[in-house]
Amino acid sequence: MARLNEEGQWIVLMGLLVAVALFFLALIVNQSALVGQTTSEAVLEFPKNDIRDLRSAIFDYIDAECNEEVEQDIIAISLERKNAVVSFSVGGPQDVQGHKMHPVSIHYNNGVTAYNETTHY
Amino acid sequence: MVVSMVPGLLAGLESSGIDYDAVAYRTGVILVEDPGWWAEDPNGQGEGQERLRDGPSWEMVDKDKIKRVGLAVSRETPNILLSTKVEKFFSTSFFDEDDYRSKAIFGDIPYSYNFSLNISNPDGTYDLKQTGSPIPLGYGYIRRVVKIKEPGVAEINESFKDRYTGVEWNSTARNFTVRLDFSHLLDPTIKPIYRINPRIEPVNVTITDFRDYLNDSYEDAALKNVTFWKTTKEDPRPVRLSWLSYNEKKPDTYTLHLDGDSHNLTPNEPVNSSISLVLRPNFMTFMGPTDTLDIQFNFDENPPKTNITGIHHYNNTSVTRPDLKTAVLEVAIW
Amino acid sequence: MVNDAGQLYTMEGIAAGLIMILTAYIVVSTTSIYTTGDTHIPDMQLEQLGSDVLAMMDTPDNSSGENQLVGLVYHNRSDNFKKEFLRYCNATTDGTLDNLHMSASVTYRKNSVIKEHPFVAPDETWTGRESAVRVTRWVQLTEGPPNPYENRLQAVLVEVLLWRA
Repeated sequence: MARLNEEGQWIVLMGLLVAVALFFLALIVNQSALVGQTTSEAVLEFPKNDIRDLRSAIFDYIDAECNEEVEQDIIAISLERKNAVVSFSVGGPQDVQGHKMHPVSIHYNNGVTAYNETTHY
Repeated sequence: MVVSMVPGLLAGLESSGIDYDAVAYRTGVILVEDPGWWAEDPNGQGEGQERLRDGPSWEMVDKDKIKRVGLAVSRETPNILLSTKVEKFFSTSFFDEDDYRSKAIFGDIPYSYNFSLNISNPDGTYDLKQTGSPIPLGYGYIRRVVKIKEPGVAEINESFKDRYTGVEWNSTARNFTVRLDFSHLLDPTIKPIYRINPRIEPVNVTITDFRDYLNDSYEDAALKNVTFWKTTKEDPRPVRLSWLSYNEKKPDTYTLHLDGDSHNLTPNEPVNSSISLVLRPNFMTFMGPTDTLDIQFNFDENPPKTNITGIHHYNNTSVTRPDLKTAVLEVAIW
Repeated sequence: MVNDAGQLYTMEGIAAGLIMILTAYIVVSTTSIYTTGDTHIPDMQLEQLGSDVLAMMDTPDNSSGENQLVGLVYHNRSDNFKKEFLRYCNATTDGTLDNLHMSASVTYRKNSVIKEHPFVAPDETWTGRESAVRVTRWVQLTEGPPNPYENRLQAVLVEVLLWRA
């Protein structure tokens, strides 16, 4: 019986190595496509402008002498249209460095991001 | 799974194109929403009293101390840019390419960039400021809409003549004081956008029509010096800040122009039409939020050539503030 | 008697054939992979721009000036609102105008019901457009605004849809 032909083993081995290397490169290139998607999704998902806008709305509310109806407006519309649970409370005026300011505590949660703040205004 | 990956291999390595937009967005946020930051080298030697070692007014310090270049007025005022920071950012004599890359763009790859800001003036004209290379075909991009705040000027012209003229018979000293009450200026009931904050923006005191303040027969009066006095709430006695008057080591904290010519703080020169003093924010490092700063212009000579006197308060009513100007900022990265 | 000498050749032939078919299939079905990564980048740029514009319209130019956004919503001036918003949005630094379009609505609360008042209707580019982004801004209205808002101090939400035609 003819012996098994053992030549060409090197080539086969190298071929296997090249295949593995190509597989690895394909994986890298495939993952790199997600870079753009993840960055922009992360930016879109984080409610930076929503939180800033909410703070400004709450400060306007304080300027308007803490009208109860305005507070209900903000809470109800946030829940319905912005999918966010918002609650805030304003305390009586305190003396801070010579000026009268109200302590404010703000809570915001849109299911993905939660934001809590206590400040003075 | 393997099948879906291999087409990616054939499509070529161009994912860096997506990266440009992300970097442009990040640079846009740094420029528009961040006031910037500078920090002193911790081993540096301090001078004067209570020297501030870091802060957001990076437009006043040496380039190597600047960590981050941001154009916003402060943390609390995103999208409102300060005109002094804008001027410094776009001045080609101050920053070079590496500075933009290390202080605004960040990242490991040396990106090419183009920043342009188009400011619309109230009279309908436009101011275009640009820096960087010309834009190629493919680039990452972000556009932001902002408003620009310019510092105000306290102008004392001839309409104040009657209020600020008086006579002291016993001495030849003639002192005119401009008072900055910080607890009044930093009042939180005024929104931070419209607040006058001498620690962020320059203080500009301009006396025009000085001829109207002169005594009848004289052509000019000599400004002997300008002195600074600090009063704190705890200690109402004014303390003279003497190191500033005589110490010429800090020429970049102020500019003083008499009739258009610049001088130091002890000019002893005659002036006949205008005096203009600009104090930059790094001048205010030793002032606390409840202190008061008195700027005293001393016209002391024998015989006295002017009868100017009185205290002019530098506050929201006496300072003319220009309106905010709308502008568009575009950042391109490739 | 079966001759198994050609087994290796056969297997090699089949494998080669399979690889060639697979390669042909892959080459033909190669599509750009950028579609997944790209769609959100323009959305991010538009959303940031729209939020900026609403914030700048909500900032008076001086401390005693009137608030442009509040005035336009209070008096229900939809044409002016559209004009001003697009003027801010489409401005670029080299003077050319971008091609952005918008529509807007205002959400308000009437007792326990949330209602939406269409403020600016979309124009003819509404169909066949790229994806739109939604940006919002809170506005506080003092008493006495015209219908349909309630006659009280209230907070309403202005929602603007922004798209590139």
